[in-house]
Parts: sequence; structure tokens; C-alpha cells
Amino acid sequence: MLKASNLRKVFTTVRAVDGVSFEIQRGEILGLLGPNGAGKTTCIRIILDILPPDEGVVTYDGRKFSERTRNIVGYLPEERGLYRKNKLLDTILYFAELRGMQRGVAKAEAYRWLQRFNLLSYKDNKVEELSKGNQQKVQFIVSVIHDPTLVVLDEPFAGLDPVNQILLKDILLDLKQQGKAVLFSTHQMDQAERLSDTLCLINRGKVVLEGTVREVKKRYGKNAVHLEYEGDGSFMRSLPGVRRTIIYGNSAELELDDGVQTQALLLILAARLEIRKFELVEPSLQSIFIQLVTAGKDEGTVKRVEVA
Amino acid sequence: MNKVFIVARWEYLEKIKSKTFLISLFVTPIIMVTMGILPSIFVTQEDDETKIIGVIDVSGELAGPLTKHLEKEYKLPDGQPNYIVETIPVGKDRNIDRAIEEADAKVLNDKIEGYCIIDFNPPEDTVIEYRSKKVGDFRITYRIQESLQRILSEKKLASMGLDPSVLRELRTPINVQSVRLSTSGEKEDAGFIRVFFSAYIFLMMLFFLIVTSCQLLVRSVIEEKSNRIVEVLISSCSPTELMAGKVFGLSGLGFTQLGLWTLVGLVISFGFGIDLVSFGHALLLIIYFVLGYLFYAAIFIGFGSPVTTEQEAQQVTTYLVLILILPLTLVLPALQNPGAGWIKVLTYIPLLTPTMMALRIPIQTPSAWEIIATILLMLISIYFAMVAAGRIFRIAILATGKRPSLGEIIAWARTG
Repeated sequence: MLKASNLRKVFTTVRAVDGVSFEIQRGEILGLLGPNGAGKTTCIRIILDILPPDEGVVTYDGRKFSERTRNIVGYLPEERGLYRKNKLLDTILYFAELRGMQRGVAKAEAYRWLQRFNLLSYKDNKVEELSKGNQQKVQFIVSVIHDPTLVVLDEPFAGLDPVNQILLKDILLDLKQQGKAVLFSTHQMDQAERLSDTLCLINRGKVVLEGTVREVKKRYGKNAVHLEYEGDGSFMRSLPGVRRTIIYGNSAELELDDGVQTQALLLILAARLEIRKFELVEPSLQSIFIQLVTAGKDEGTVKRVEVA
Repeated sequence: MNKVFIVARWEYLEKIKSKTFLISLFVTPIIMVTMGILPSIFVTQEDDETKIIGVIDVSGELAGPLTKHLEKEYKLPDGQPNYIVETIPVGKDRNIDRAIEEADAKVLNDKIEGYCIIDFNPPEDTVIEYRSKKVGDFRITYRIQESLQRILSEKKLASMGLDPSVLRELRTPINVQSVRLSTSGEKEDAGFIRVFFSAYIFLMMLFFLIVTSCQLLVRSVIEEKSNRIVEVLISSCSPTELMAGKVFGLSGLGFTQLGLWTLVGLVISFGFGIDLVSFGHALLLIIYFVLGYLFYAAIFIGFGSPVTTEQEAQQVTTYLVLILILPLTLVLPALQNPGAGWIKVLTYIPLLTPTMMALRIPIQTPSAWEIIATILLMLISIYFAMVAAGRIFRIAILATGKRPSLGEIIAWARTG
């Protein structure tokens, strides 16, 4: 559906996007991950033709972005906002028509979506009279009302309460069921892990990791230990047979070298700490994320984390 | 094209309901009418009832003729005398203090409108005093002055042995009527006031329309930028479509305003019998008006779209208003000498073209080639201004944070 190849964008001093490529198919959810300032939003702006790339090509089903494309994409920007002084329904209809919908069809769809979000009774209220969460729902309606083939959501979960996070998650899975391509950006790894089919992790403008969730996990550590303990665990940073250590406080993730005896490791740890939980797991996306991002940021930190 | 229309309709309908627009729609003409027409109406307003004027005449020789003169010369519309003179007697000792006391009391009790004290000795001492509660009534003082002048002149002539009727002959008024010649050979009456007003009203309307539209435009851009609606807009339609939509929407708004004002203007001018411009001139004026509006609109978009806060918007609006005031300052000199070379030169500066033509057309219609040349000049200028504004707009609507410098804006405009 969407293919971005080798995108580059340089702002006066910063290389915001530096050779990013990714692809989304219909019926697939792509999670665009990365720390703040990684270049996620710039990537999104480029694929939506809001910003021209310095280099690189974006194609939709093999064709370049065109007037037709504008009507088959939906977009929820990171910063939330709508015309404050206008009525809900008017606002939704305006954006729907701008995406090429007929007014009559747009109206029927608007009613349907408002109903789904329990907002129908507010349709003649001004946007500013709604709560923040409800405004966000209206904005979401604006991004999907015209039945787009590609839905792009920049940090869709930010600022939503748990109930609405679940509502949104269900709708995204629904969209996937309907065969839409969904691209969403986030820095919440658990969301990405649960929702995405494919991941693309960007750091400092470069793709540092991509693939399906399973592939990624497979590639990054088969042997990891998740540990909960009490005591001073700092010695774990320099244990033999441990490739990487991430300490969260009273818990830690240890990535082991191949062929390490976990029983022996447990003995060493138990001798110095009070162990509450000792579990053999795949590493979480969170740990992969932190590892990759810190690696990019400061080589020194990596060396300290990595144990030979 | 379709999306341009959708944006234009949205901008139009949304703004036409806004308070700013409604206020400017109704308040502006009220201000203009108040400033331009009311004073002249009040000044020319005739009295509708007879006024009693007191006279304290120390010489005892002038009160009589003044009474006769005032009563004979100035009549109310219904034929009654405008003024009746009441002589306030002065005692034999020629002390006027008591008479003044009496007259003051009468004025304050509204028995008389006012009174004058004729206690002078022309030609050395020529000042007489008029006392009233309303010192702003120029008409009375002027008429008293006129009457006394006549009376004294007639007296002087009589003392020289001449017939006072000679004076009447001497004072037959001579009027200069300005007649405007045009190449077609027709002669036309062109009152200065009339031309001045038509040009001035034209400029004031242009001024107010542009300022209102600009404020609405800048405000809408700021809102869309601050909440990032603009990103959704730009992913839905191209920046060019968005800008074109805004220009058309706001122009529609401007011309709605203009239409309503013109209607009000027509009603007023019919009501008061003021004939401002001929039809042919009106057509040309409208053409220059539209051209001027579009040109200024492009400039406003160019400089208004990089703005990110209300404060900056005010600064920018102030600068742009200064550009608009410049033509207003040239109205008088241009009217006094519409044929001057420097006026012709100014006509070819696009910022001033509409103004200068608006000033020149009613006085001395420029030749056909000048009209064609200036219209072409304006069209070309509008094209380039719009292209530059579009380039700035494209970048500026996505820029937030620090306001770009003038240099940066110019650089945006140059590189597409």
C-alpha cells in the first residue's frame, strides 16, 4: 500500500530524517517507534505530503502522492486541536468534504461515528464546550470518517485515559479487520507490542530496527532473565556470561550469552540478593528499545551496560 | 477547484458570523457617515424658529438699521423673519453696565438667544462683542458682522454724497464655477468637495475592508497553526488550494461588506441629493478597487502567515496599516494638481495605483492607454504578489516558534 524509501530531510542544523525506509500493507498495523525527537513526526509529515523530503520517494500502490491520494489518507496529528468556536457537526463535515466526501454521505457517516463515541447529543455544541477527551474523539472521527485506505495516527494514545485507550485499540484492530493500513507512532512500547504487526524503530533520524514483533524479539536475545529482587544489584553489570544488564530498581533484565547455565547464574545471584522472581523470558520491546536508543546516544553508556 | 470552493465557503460562513466582522460591518459606515457627512449637515441646517437677538448700542445710531437689515435679509423657510432684534436701552449717562446686567439675565433665562454690544469706534476699534449661551453658532455672528459691515459702508457712502445703491452694485457676488474638460469635448461640473469625497470614500472603504479582512485572515492562520489543524488541512488539500480558498472566502466577505456599504451609500446620497460619481467612473473605480484589494490581500498573506501569536499579529497589522495610510496622505496634494508629473509617476507604483487612479478619474480621466497600462500593471503585480505569498504561505503555515526574519521571508518568496 504505502512504501517509503530512503527518506531524508535536513532542517537548518539537524538531520531530522536520515535514510528512512518502511512499508505497510493493507490489513496491517505498523508501529513507528522512537524516543522524542527521533524524527517520527517528520516522517509522517513527509509521507502525507505536508513536508517535501530532501531525498527519497513515497509511493501509494506504486504511484506518487497525488490529489487522489489526499482523499484516501486520514491523519490524526500529534498536537490536538480543532476550531474551538465551531459546532461539532459543522467541523466534522468541513473536514469530510475536504477529503472529497459528498455532504449527504458525510452527514450520515458523521452521525454513525458520533453515535459510536456517544457524542451524538453534542453535535450542535461548540467544540470548546467539550472535554479534552471528547475533543480528541472528535479529532479521531475527522481522521477516519472518509473511510481512508491509510490511517496515520501520531501518538494516538497520548492523553487518553485507560478506558478510552481500550476503545481506541479496539477501533484500530477494527480498521485492520476492514483491510485498512494503519500507521501509528508511539513511544509507549507496551502499546506497540500489543497492537503492531510490524515495527519500525527510529532513532536520531535512522531506522535502527524493523520487522515483525516476533522477528524483532527473536533477533534480540533468546536467553533473557527477568529478575525481581531486594538488595544492591549493581554488581550484576559485570557478571560473566551476561551480555547486557538493564536495572530498573527492584527488577532487572539480564541478557545472557549463548550456552550460559541459568542454574549457576541463579546461585550467584541468590548468594548476594534476596530473589523474589527469577524468570526466563524473551526480552521486552522496552528493553530492546532502551538498549538501542542509549547505544545511539552515547557509546560510553553502552560499554558500561555491555559486559564482555 | 472543488476544494478551493469548500475552503472558501467555510472561511466565508465562519467569518460572516464572527463578532469582529459584524462590528466592522456596522460600525465602520457609522463612523464614516458621522465623520464625513454629519458635520456638514449640521452646519447647513437652517433655523426653524425665529430667534430674538438683543442689541446694546452705545452710539444709538446702529441698532435701528441693524434691526431692519437682519429682519429683511434673513427669513425662515416659512417666510417669517429669522431674527427679531430687541434693543436694550442704555442710560443717558452712557453707562452700559446696567444694560449688560439686564441682557445677561435675559440670556440666562432664555428670553433672548444672545445679544451684541456695539461699543466701538471704527475704523480704529472694530471689535464688537456677541454674548450667548451658545458661542459655537457661527451663523449669527457672521450675519451680524455682515449686516454691520453693510450698514457702516452705506453710511460712509452717504456721507460722501454717493447713492447707497452703488454699494449693492459693487457687492454683486462673483462665483467661479470649475468646469471639467474631457477629450470627448463634453463639459462637466466638478465640485472639489464632490471629487474629494468620492476619492476619500473609496480609499476609506479600501482601507477598512483590507484591515478587517487581514485581521480575520491572520487570526484564522494563527488558530490553525497553534492547534495544528493546518496539518490536517494540508494533508487534505494543497497549500495553494488552501490559500486560494482563504483569499476567495475573505474577498467574498469583503465584497459582501462593500455591497452593503454601497447600498447604504446610495440611500444616503439619494436621501441628501448628493451625486457622488457617474456610472462610468463608478465602474472604473470598482475595477481598481478589486485590483487593489487583491494586491493588498496578497501582501497581507505574505507577511501575515508567518505570525504565530496574537501579539505578533498586532505588530504586523500595524506595519501594514502604515502602508495603507500612505496613499491617504497623498489625497489632498493629488487632488489639487491631478495633472502633475509626479502624480503620474506615483500612478505606476502598484501600491499606489488604485489610489492614484481613484483620485485622478473623477477630476481628469486619464487617457485610455493609461487606464489599460495601469490595469495590466496591477494584474501582473497581483500575479507575482500571489505567487510570492503562496510560497511564503506554504512554508510559514507549518513554521511555529520563532518568527522568521524579514530576510528569511524574502528568501522563501524567492525560492519556490
